[in-house]
Amino acid sequence: MLKKDQIDMYPTDFAVKLSKVTKTFTQWQRDNTGQSLIRNLIKPEKRTIVALNDVSFHIRKGEFVAYAGPNGAGKSTTMKLLSGMLLPNSGDISVLSMSPQKQRTTLMQRLGILFGNRTELWWDHPVIQSFEWKKVVWDIPDQIYRQNLDMVTDLLDIGPLLKTFARELSLGQRMRADLAMMLLHSPELILLDEPTLGLDVVAKRQMIDFLKKINQENGVTIVVTSHDMDDLEEMAERILMISDGKIAFDGSFQELRNITGNLTRVVVAMEDSLVPQVKMGKLLSSDKGVYEYDIDLAQLPIKALLGQLSQVEGVRDIEIKKAPIEQVIAGLYRDWTGI
Amino acid sequence: MEVKAKIKRILKLLAISAKMDLVWLLRDTKYALTGIASDMISNLSTVSAVYLIALRFNGIGGLNTDEILFMMSYSTITTGLFIMFGSGNNIHISRIIGRGQLEHLFMQPLSLKMQLFTNGFCPFTGGGNFLVGCIMLIISVRRLSLSITLGWLLSLIIYILATMTIIVARSYLVSTAAFYAPVAAEEISMTAIDGTWLLSTFPLSGMPAFLQVSLLTILPEGLMAWFPSLCLLGKTPLHFSKYYPLAFALILSLITSYIFRKGMNYYVKKGSNRYVPYGFRR
Ligand SMILES: Nc1ncnc2c1ncn2[C@@H]1O[C@H](COP(=O)(O)OP(=O)(O)OP(=O)(O)O)[C@@H](O)[C@H]1O
Ligand SMILES: [Mg+2]
Repeated sequence: MLKKDQIDMYPTDFAVKLSKVTKTFTQWQRDNTGQSLIRNLIKPEKRTIVALNDVSFHIRKGEFVAYAGPNGAGKSTTMKLLSGMLLPNSGDISVLSMSPQKQRTTLMQRLGILFGNRTELWWDHPVIQSFEWKKVVWDIPDQIYRQNLDMVTDLLDIGPLLKTFARELSLGQRMRADLAMMLLHSPELILLDEPTLGLDVVAKRQMIDFLKKINQENGVTIVVTSHDMDDLEEMAERILMISDGKIAFDGSFQELRNITGNLTRVVVAMEDSLVPQVKMGKLLSSDKGVYEYDIDLAQLPIKALLGQLSQVEGVRDIEIKKAPIEQVIAGLYRDWTGI
Repeated sequence: MEVKAKIKRILKLLAISAKMDLVWLLRDTKYALTGIASDMISNLSTVSAVYLIALRFNGIGGLNTDEILFMMSYSTITTGLFIMFGSGNNIHISRIIGRGQLEHLFMQPLSLKMQLFTNGFCPFTGGGNFLVGCIMLIISVRRLSLSITLGWLLSLIIYILATMTIIVARSYLVSTAAFYAPVAAEEISMTAIDGTWLLSTFPLSGMPAFLQVSLLTILPEGLMAWFPSLCLLGKTPLHFSKYYPLAFALILSLITSYIFRKGMNYYVKKGSNRYVPYGFRR
């Protein structure tokens, strides 16, 4: 109780506060049989989906938080709740000490939102025209506008794009332009939903560096979602992991690794009918001479792993990659349930 | 001060919309001109069809040709305003709702009303009909030798505002359906408005009274041009009050705002499971 009071005394320290937020959706179910067509007319079949189940977390000002989870976990739903596009069934949401629903217009002056699969640019206009539009709609003072424009032009390298029509930009270019536009009003908090979607390595790198920079130098609070753990680990210090509408983990990447181990996946493709004669990690699958292993680098260090692999006869190809997020989460659950 | 700041803000927002409209016109001139021409041809053909009938039969239902011209100018002005403020689907809002694009509007630090009023303003590509309407108005007023007083001009403006309110309110009212059935109702506003456009330019004088009454109440096409222009000519039809269009506009907008709000609440509760990435921005 005491702790809660202390928190409320300094509400401005928090950029985001969710307490006991639940959000459900109803989805109509339909299949393609004639029988069910008629049944649906009389009594449509509904399914209730709990996108967020009693979720609580706080994010302090200046934090850089990775919001991770597999497909359908509830990441975008959370983002929409935070930006006032959806109303929760129950629970409280406060963003920059405001209610996203009730104080929407004031909040939007200080919040930046970017959905990777949508654009805020005007399609039939050059990028700079969209920026000018933003200046007027957000009522950005001249000096701040110019300062921010210079900054984003420089850091995101969009100078050559400014005069290009939005409809003629490539995906990566469009993302950079959208990111730049989002920052023109100096938002204190930015919410990014899958901003690295579809970007190549170079573009990703550029975006990640940029986000880190504005977080460190300008103190902008950033919440970014993705289901790519590698991307997230590069950017954020704290990871909030959501799965099935519940927070499955909240802490640093190091802590996460301490629990789940340093999971890596190795795929070995063999010359025909040969079987790799090694003992490393757990064999996940073997299909047409392609063997997939799960390896915990905490137990089998990378050097030892490479040593093992070099012993194998008849290897056609080897691929080593980070474990997908589903597996990390499965590891978390295993840890809890002790299986 | 508060009011002054707000007006200044609205003017700035209208100005940026106008500017973007102008640069678009200057850049894609060919397409823009085609668009302007088709808007004008479509309106002029409707209006002149009625006018030609009036010429041929020496008036329609007790209205002489100049009075018909006056009514046509009224209709052209309201059509013109509709086009001039309505680019980007902000009047055909069922499209924005049905396509899940309201979320783009939620991100802006402006009330929805303010956004919808200002962001579709396109005086350069969409001002043609309004201009033609004004010219027709001047000609008809001259030919009718109406004595123009300040009071008359004021009532002209008020009637036009009432008509505009009815058009917009009706569109928003039917568009509410798109909150509940995004795919089926995406085009409902278009159907509701454009489907009856022809009827709204038609002089109802001389029609059976029951038809006139229903077109002033259930389907308010009579309020689009016929009724208000007769009021302005001092010939208020059917023993109705000349304040009737204003009352109708008021009541309709109250009903609409109540129902639209309900739809909006539904939307933020259920979320939109549909998203189309084009059409909310030019
Ligand atoms: N408008 C809606 N109507 C019905 N169900 C919805 C709606 N929006 C989301 N859902 C459901 O809620 C759950 C969470 O969806 P959400 O979009 O938040 O997932 P996500 O974590 O962003 O996934 P992804 O990584 O695929 O983007 C899913 O099961 C989804 O089907
Ligand atoms: Mg998502």
